Amino acid sequence: MQKKITIDPVTRVEGHGRVTIHLDEYGKVEDSFFHIVEFRGFERFIQGHPYWEAPVLVQRLCGICPVSHHLAAAKAIDQLVGVDPEDLSPAAHKLRKLLHYGQIFQSHALHFFYLASPDLLFGVDAPVEKRNVFAVAIENKELARKGILMRKFGQEIIQAIAGKKIHGVAAVPGGMHKTLDAAEREYFLNGKDIPSIDTMIEWSQEIVDFIKGYHEKHRIMMDSFAEFPSGHLGMVDEQGNLELYHGKLRAIDGTGNITLPDVNTQDYQQYFAEGVERWSYMKFPYLKELGRENGWNRVGPLARINICNTIPTPLAEKERQAFIAFTGKKVNNSTLYSHWARLIEILHCAEVMRDLLHDDEIMSSDLVREGKPRLEGIGIIEAPRGTLTHHYQIDEKGMITRCNLIVSTTHNNEAMNRAVRWVANNVISQKGAITDGMLNQVEVAIRAYDPCLSCATQALGQMALQVELYNYEGELIDERITSGN
Amino acid sequence: MNASPPATKILLIGIGNSGRSDDALGWKFLDTFDAFPCWFDFEYRYQLQVEDAELISRYKKVIFVDASREVIKDGASLHACIPTPSASFTTHKLDPGTVLWLARELYTAQTEAYVMAIAGTEWELHHGLSTIARTNLQKALSLFLDFILHANLLQPKAEAVA
Repeated sequence: MQKKITIDPVTRVEGHGRVTIHLDEYGKVEDSFFHIVEFRGFERFIQGHPYWEAPVLVQRLCGICPVSHHLAAAKAIDQLVGVDPEDLSPAAHKLRKLLHYGQIFQSHALHFFYLASPDLLFGVDAPVEKRNVFAVAIENKELARKGILMRKFGQEIIQAIAGKKIHGVAAVPGGMHKTLDAAEREYFLNGKDIPSIDTMIEWSQEIVDFIKGYHEKHRIMMDSFAEFPSGHLGMVDEQGNLELYHGKLRAIDGTGNITLPDVNTQDYQQYFAEGVERWSYMKFPYLKELGRENGWNRVGPLARINICNTIPTPLAEKERQAFIAFTGKKVNNSTLYSHWARLIEILHCAEVMRDLLHDDEIMSSDLVREGKPRLEGIGIIEAPRGTLTHHYQIDEKGMITRCNLIVSTTHNNEAMNRAVRWVANNVISQKGAITDGMLNQVEVAIRAYDPCLSCATQALGQMALQVELYNYEGELIDERITSGN
Repeated sequence: MNASPPATKILLIGIGNSGRSDDALGWKFLDTFDAFPCWFDFEYRYQLQVEDAELISRYKKVIFVDASREVIKDGASLHACIPTPSASFTTHKLDPGTVLWLARELYTAQTEAYVMAIAGTEWELHHGLSTIARTNLQKALSLFLDFILHANLLQPKAEAVA
């Protein structure tokens, strides 16, 4: 009898998603889908608003990565007042970078310590009551405490610059509205009230060492789990180094061949298109030249480590080299290596924050530049989860007439679906009884991409994730639902 | 920024969203006390998160204030917060009891915590409280003042007034 498995909601991810797996009468997987069922709306209802509201409004897409949306929108809005990224004042540029790297640091810390670590510490087959941060708190207090303080450090950087940890306001058209004073800077350097930035670097290094040890012990699983070739997309600087705030877009295929050769972000429309499927609100971006079937890319930490020539901070670069030496591959296509890549980026962010915090220019009052107004602006940054695009057009009165958002998680849509299919085919198919551990592996595959499903569809309202099992007659025979309330 | 708080200060954590009508009740409650920073510290939250455990661990007394969809007799209620580990589908939205549990587990905190629930009726995208919520907010304030005076929670020591 044909069956359909549904996981709904997928847990320990940002947002509400659902997985359905269709089995034939012999229990073999026929097909699988990762559905994103949240409502999509921000692109539409921002129309008619004045352009300067965009960085404030669009960050409401998310409570985890609002800074990313704020800054991507700000980069676009700069252009509407005639200021290109290279024309920002040095102080504004550095303050935005500090804000951005603080955001990535706290977001990566949240994902690793709160969402992913239970799977790594207790195993994907662990009882469900152990697969959460509370079990981590009981069994590994030191790890939990460090995770909390690392997340807090990033959030306090955000608060110092933007006024609030969530949905603050830092960027204004053409620059920043606030600088840091000496006391604010000292707070992050002296370690009196919170652990210092040097401690953040030390702890980041420790957690990278932890994941290296984990990979050595679980190499076969980490290598093979949800391993499949794909494109990889991210941003690099003029020298091809990892860059997260402003640079050029580069993509490679699953063997390392360049498929997008360091193009200007302003030209993204020449290269990218978005596909749709009837079973998901989340779109499927792809490179036009390669088409919908072959042009999709992974984005985020693993993709960024794959595409860059080097990481421009010494400790993280050393870890990137160790990562490449361990895998022995030019391009890593194994889903679970995303965790290792994410932790290398945590270390990189900490190093960049340290350098910026020691730069006196972050206390300069030269914050805003002006230029000749335009009617179109495009802002692209590397958000924690990958390449994030904000594109706005306005009328002569400055009202937004068109908005296009290509959110990081949408780039990973195809990859997440393929990862689900890999688990369905390799873990669930023709195995007889479906265990909780098997279903958790579906979630482990999705969770590695750290999807932000509310961002990806610009959701409103409450969120959760769901898995369903159907028979060949379309009857629901099993389901798992985790409430979003 | 978070320097260590004076030992006598009470932390008020308002949970909610001022853009969703009566969900602003927690924040409005805090706004009422912002003239008394010598006695209270204030934190405004959309949702409670894991790191709030570290925050509350540094206080002796914490009051979580949140809007409630439930009908509450007298419009508001104040009760002791019971530490409870409860995992939801996400770790980005925790109950006060879970945050308190984490504070005790991770930081051996002796924090005494209470939950003030204020009944609301409107939850759509809108700025401003409903008439019922405004009435219930006043009831909550009376309840809270009675509580802190009865329990003698406000201790006007020099360190608290500094």
